[in-house]
Amino acid sequence: MDNPLVQLDPGLFIWTIITFLGLLWALKKIAWGPLLQALETRQNAIRKSLDDAQQAKQDLERLNAESAQIIARARVDADAIITQSRADGERLREEIRQKARGEADVIVKNAERQIQLETSRALEQIRHEAVELSVMIASKIIQRNLTKEDNERLIDDALKQVEGRRH
Amino acid sequence: MKTMFVQEAIRHGAAAAERQPGKFDPGETIIHHVANSPASDPLIHLPTIAGIDFSVTKHVLMLWVVAAIVFIVVSWTVRRYLKQERLVPKGFMNALEFVVEFVRDEITEPNVGRKWVNTWTPLILTFFIFILVANGIGLIPIFDLIGLTDYYVLRTGEHSFLKQVLHGGTTATANFNVTAALATITFGAIIVAGSMAHGFVKHWKNMVPHGLNPFIYVILIPIEILGMFVRPFALTMRLAANMTGGHIAILAILSFVFLFAEMFGRATAGIGVGLVVSVPLAVLISMLEILVVLIQAYVFTLLTAVFIGMAIHVHH
Repeated sequence: MDNPLVQLDPGLFIWTIITFLGLLWALKKIAWGPLLQALETRQNAIRKSLDDAQQAKQDLERLNAESAQIIARARVDADAIITQSRADGERLREEIRQKARGEADVIVKNAERQIQLETSRALEQIRHEAVELSVMIASKIIQRNLTKEDNERLIDDALKQVEGRRH
Repeated sequence: MKTMFVQEAIRHGAAAAERQPGKFDPGETIIHHVANSPASDPLIHLPTIAGIDFSVTKHVLMLWVVAAIVFIVVSWTVRRYLKQERLVPKGFMNALEFVVEFVRDEITEPNVGRKWVNTWTPLILTFFIFILVANGIGLIPIFDLIGLTDYYVLRTGEHSFLKQVLHGGTTATANFNVTAALATITFGAIIVAGSMAHGFVKHWKNMVPHGLNPFIYVILIPIEILGMFVRPFALTMRLAANMTGGHIAILAILSFVFLFAEMFGRATAGIGVGLVVSVPLAVLISMLEILVVLIQAYVFTLLTAVFIGMAIHVHH
């Protein structure tokens, strides 16, 4: 075993272990530990901001969809309201027209009746006046007073004649 | 790059000539350049405790250099990054963050699962960067440049620290003692991972499936125990052999320069072969080595993660 390539060297073996473990310990404390933590923190931060961005995008999309829906619904509602109010207006107009026509009819009828009433009252009055005038004239003519029975008979005759003339 | 190799090659020759005047011994030179510095002549003498010589050899020094580089660069970069108000990586931190996230998300998490990823990422990350830098530092001819400077400019004494540092290979991970130690840490990590996930006793029970014919356990238990040791052993050998192999190939090819110079008794013959064959080939293999350095660091790390994951998620 004098080939130095295959010489056992326990000292070197132990020095290697000591050196390596020392380096490992020092680096872990000073470099790897804080670095790995920082990398992870940064990774999480990046992941979180990406997630947030994704979330914001989704929110925006959802809000957009919602507002579009709301607008569409509002439009439909507006259309319905317009149609409804148009129909209502039409119906109301018709109603008012009907009512006005009815009222007008009533007024006309009332007026006609009134006219008739007045006419008949005036005729009655005229008739009375005519009777009294006739009686006065007749008594003047015949110069005597007829009996009451004669009177009434005469009046009736006269009336009948008048009536007959009217019809 | 090419001139570096030529200079390195010249230095090889010089080093070999110093030790064995007159004759170039490629085997000796290569081993000298790959193996650890001799334990009999360490850089820093330290006492032997319980039969173990703790003296600092070249590879121990290289481990420290690597650990220091990794620690300073990583902690400085990370600290500066974390001090920023907004955590936007810039400059070198981009590269480091890429490595950290690659190791965490591609190596650790798929194997150990989301629950344990923060527990095991530091270990696996340290493995990856440590092995990567230790592998990679062997590709940079630091000590060859130091040697050259010393030889021509500084001219320090025979036993100066600078001269001593030149002995031995630069790649600590080419030494199987080092890789064995790293694999031992993996071995320990597997047990710790299993114990943390299932409890210490349950971890050992998990090694074999439950409710089989008792006779099968007679075969299965030894196999599983064997497997427990084979895994870190394979890690050890794979890394050390890969790191050694490339260096040996490069050095062998560069040795042509001196072999041919000796064969024809002329320096021009060596330089000619060097320019035509050795340097282009060595450059090619060095490029391959860059890949191997990365791949081996990745493989060691990935397998560690896989083994830890196997202890956590027991499938039978």
